[in-house]
Amino acid sequence: MLALRGGRAMMARVLAVCRVVLGALFIWAAVTKLPDMAAFAQDVANYRVVPAALVPIVAVAVVGIELLAGIALVIGVMDRPAAAVLAVLLAAFTALLAQALLRGIDLRCGCFGGDERASWWTVVRDLLMLAAAVAVARGPSPERTNVTDPA
Amino acid sequence: MGILVRAVPLCFVGGVLGIAGNALSPHPARLGIPVHAAAESGGAACQDPRASVARVSVEEAKPLCIACTAAFVDARSAQEYAAGHITGAVHLAPGQPAGPLLPALSAAPTVIVYDRDRDCAAADQVAVLLKSNGVRDVRVLTGAWPEWLAGGGPGESGTCSLCAGGAQ
Repeated sequence: MLALRGGRAMMARVLAVCRVVLGALFIWAAVTKLPDMAAFAQDVANYRVVPAALVPIVAVAVVGIELLAGIALVIGVMDRPAAAVLAVLLAAFTALLAQALLRGIDLRCGCFGGDERASWWTVVRDLLMLAAAVAVARGPSPERTNVTDPA
Repeated sequence: MGILVRAVPLCFVGGVLGIAGNALSPHPARLGIPVHAAAESGGAACQDPRASVARVSVEEAKPLCIACTAAFVDARSAQEYAAGHITGAVHLAPGQPAGPLLPALSAAPTVIVYDRDRDCAAADQVAVLLKSNGVRDVRVLTGAWPEWLAGGGPGESGTCSLCAGGAQ
């Protein structure tokens, strides 16, 4: 029984770490895009999936959602819905990156601002973050879990 | 199901936050104006037939860069230049003195100016300045830096050693 409780406590700690790290990554991703939203809109357009007329509003919404969901994860408020939203975003990012790479489109990934090129490593990185987001979305909320209480 | 219901307002508030962040951004996305893929639009926004400075496409400019038969001038900000620019390009933003770069640029058979925006406004300003200072063959790169990147043109990062008051 104690071993079972210890395993759950360990799992809760792992999920808490995933939640905070994932949140911090998305806050960072949003903050690096804010100084040049026009460039991020261009990055979105370069994937050639979103209709040109919708590109600016999609780009702006993505950055805002990344920022808000990242904050929610870090502070542990509405963390599961935030993780679910980020999981959907990450699944979309992964699919967009993969289709662009398979079509031979050479482009910036637009992940953390700057000029990082899209590559299969970027896809792997997104899949790892997707796994973390799904785990947090399915796991217990920190509002209902006391990982320090061994009883 | 409860998670998804709670995710909807989070997305809505996030969208509003994004619009607010965009309004405060020094380089905001222009809402309501379509944005086309760099490789698809071919720099159409920059190809105004009334432009006073000749244009050059990424396809035409890439061989000139690789063969070093043209000098490239980056008209973006110093930070953008330092983060990544066309290999061998010097930095000269609008409003900066061209003097220190004129000897090198005047000796180049062709000078190609580029910026970050597809309307080429900053590149046009710098190109006009160079022409008024006696540089003969000055052209503006259509599609700007985004299309150069999308086209796989060579690039490098770092500061500009030739520039005075530029990207130091």
